[in-house]
Amino acid sequence: MSPRSPWRPPVASPRLKRRILSGAVDDNLRALRNQPRGRLHRRRPVSWALVAAATASAVAGAALWLVLELPESAVPPLARRPAIDAALATGTPARTPPQVFPVAVRKVVVDPGHGGGDLGTRTPLGLVEKELTLDIARRLVAQLRGDGFEVELTRDGDRRISLRDRARAANELGADLFVSIHVNWFEDGRANRGIETYFLGPSDDPFIVRLTSAENRESGYAIADVRRLLDSIYADLRQEQSRALARAVQRQLVRSLQEVTPEVADRGVKSAPFLVLVATEMPAILAEVASLSNADEARLLAQEGYRERIAVALYRGIRAYSESVAQTATPTEVR
Amino acid sequence: MSAKEKVLSVGIDLGTSQSAIATSADARYVVDSYVGWPVDMVARKVVKKKVLIGAEALDNRSLLDLHRPLEQGLIKEGSEKDVAAVKEILGHLIGLATQDAEGQKVRAVVGVPAETMRVNKQQLRQILKGTVDSLIIVSEPFAVAYGIDALLHTMIIDIGAGTTDFCVMRGRYPTEEDQRTLTKAGDSIDDLLGKLISERHPEVQFSEHMVRGWKEKHGFVGESKEKVVVKAPVHGKMQPLDITDALRTACESVVAPFSETMIDLLAAVDPEYQETVRQNVILSGRGSKIRGLAAELEKSLKELGGGSVRMVEDPVFAGAVGGLAIALDADESDWEKVAA
Repeated sequence: MSPRSPWRPPVASPRLKRRILSGAVDDNLRALRNQPRGRLHRRRPVSWALVAAATASAVAGAALWLVLELPESAVPPLARRPAIDAALATGTPARTPPQVFPVAVRKVVVDPGHGGGDLGTRTPLGLVEKELTLDIARRLVAQLRGDGFEVELTRDGDRRISLRDRARAANELGADLFVSIHVNWFEDGRANRGIETYFLGPSDDPFIVRLTSAENRESGYAIADVRRLLDSIYADLRQEQSRALARAVQRQLVRSLQEVTPEVADRGVKSAPFLVLVATEMPAILAEVASLSNADEARLLAQEGYRERIAVALYRGIRAYSESVAQTATPTEVR
Repeated sequence: MSAKEKVLSVGIDLGTSQSAIATSADARYVVDSYVGWPVDMVARKVVKKKVLIGAEALDNRSLLDLHRPLEQGLIKEGSEKDVAAVKEILGHLIGLATQDAEGQKVRAVVGVPAETMRVNKQQLRQILKGTVDSLIIVSEPFAVAYGIDALLHTMIIDIGAGTTDFCVMRGRYPTEEDQRTLTKAGDSIDDLLGKLISERHPEVQFSEHMVRGWKEKHGFVGESKEKVVVKAPVHGKMQPLDITDALRTACESVVAPFSETMIDLLAAVDPEYQETVRQNVILSGRGSKIRGLAAELEKSLKELGGGSVRMVEDPVFAGAVGGLAIALDADESDWEKVAA
C-alpha cells in the first residue's frame, strides 16, 4: 500500500478466511453443475409449472399426476396445499385435482420510483416525485396486505437505489408481480396530463424514448448487461402477462381518478423499454399515476385523499389481474 | 494425489489490456492481452511464428490478424478467433510458468473481470481444460482483496481497461449485491482522449496504442504543476503536442461515475460498518495509477463524513498474487472438487 499513512484493514480470522474461500469454491462448483448462483430455490418456476399443469388438466378434464422435484423451501407457506404437502412428504406423485393449484398472485413487490439524491420530477412549490411515489407505495402496501398478499417495498425510506437493485430485489424475493410507481412530467403541463401504464416492449414514440432515457439513467447497468437483457426479452411470456396487468391497473386508475377530475386523460397502456421492467423476471409494469407538470394534478397530488385514491385504484387493478389469472388461465396465457 | 506428486500453484489475472501470472515457484510474468495470427504466408515468413502474443503481437500488428479478446470485461461474443486468443494468452502464461516445472500438476486460480465471471465462467473452464489440472475462477476484485488480506469491511475498486469493478468485502464471498461493474474504465478514457486530441489538433496523426501509452505515463486528475507534452507526427514529422487539458478532461471523466457508484455501494453496507468501509477503499488495476484519482475520490467521501482511498502497491500483479494466495490456501479437498 502507499506509504502516506499506516494502513490497518480489519483482519479476517483464519476461520472467516476459510469460510470465504469455501464460498469461492462453492461458486465454482455451481458453475460446474450449471447451477446459476442464488437461483437454487426460486419460486416462480413452481408457480408457472403449476399454472401450466392446472391449465392442461382443466382443458383435458383429466386427472393429473404431478411430481415436485424442488426443495420444500421453494414452496412458500401460502402456496402449500394438501396434495403438494403429500408429495413433498412422501416423495411420491400425488393424484391432484386442478382446483388445488395456487395460480393466484401471492407476492407483490412495490417499487416507489426514485429516492435519495434522485428526486425524480418536482414542482417549484416543493412537491417531489420521490416522496409522492413512496407515500402512494406505502398506501398500496397497506391495501394489498389487508387483502392477504405478501408485499415488499424496494425502498421504504428516502434511499437511492439503482434500477438494477430494484429488479434484483424483486427477482430474489421470487415476486409474482412487480409494480413500479412514478409520476409523469410533460413539457407542456397544461395540455398534457393524465395517466399511463407501461409494460416492457420497444417504442418508437419520441416522448417515450425521452421518458425511458430519463428513467433509465440510474440503472446501475453496464452496456453489456442491457444488450444481453434486451436481446432475449421481447418475445418473453412476461410481456403478455405484463400487458394484461397494465391494462387492469390502467382501467382502475382511470375509472377512479376521473371520478374526481373528468379532465384526467386516459393516456393508455403503452410499451417501453424501462430497464426496471427489462430486468425483472415476473410480470412487471410501471405506472405513471399522474402528471406533476399539470397544476391541477399537482394540487390534487398534494392531498392525502387523492394519493389514497391512487393507491386503492392500483390495488384494485392488481386484484383484478390476480383474479383473472386465477380464474381464466388459458393455454395461450401459459404458453 | 500422492505425497510424491509436485504441485505448481499459480494465480492468473486475465485482463482486458494485460494479463499476469504469479507462481508458487516465485515467478511473475505479465503480457499484453493481444494475440495475432500472421495474415498470410508472407507475414508468416517474416514473423516466423504461427501465433504472436503480447508486446510481440503489438509490435508486428501490421502483419497480423490482431485480437484483443476481451471487450468491456467479456470474451467477445460469437468470435472463435477471440476464444482462441484467450486460450493462447492463458496457455502462454502457463507455459511461461511451467517452463521449469515439467511434469508438475498445475493448480490455477484465475481472476477475471466481474462481467466475465457472470457470463463466461463456463467458457473459461472449457478453454482451460487440459491446460491445468484444477481450476478456480474468481472475480478480479475478490482476488485482489484476498491477496492483501482485505476481506472485511473494505471496498476494492479494480480499474481495468474494459470495466471498473467495485466490490465490498464484508466477510463473505462477494455476492451480486456486493458488486458493481462500470464500463467507464481505461478504454473509455482512451477513447475520449483520442477524440479530444483529434478535435483540438486535427492535423496530428496518432494511434490508439499511442494514446494509451500517453495516458498510462502521464494520466492525472485535478491540478498539474507541469504541462504534459508528448511527441506525435504531423505530416510525417514528429512535433511536440501539449495534451495537458485533454488528458485531464479524459481522466476526470471517470471521477463522477466512480464516486457515485462508490457511494451507492457504501449506502448498501450495514450502517455500523459504513465508516470502516469508507476508511478502507482500495484502488487496484492499471487505471489506479492515474495521479490524483485517490484524492478526488476521497473528496467525494467527505460529504459522507470522510474516508480514505489508497492504491495497492503493485497494481499490475495484485490480482495474480491474490489468485496465488487463494491457490495456496485452498484445501486439497477443494482442489479435488474443481478438477479441470
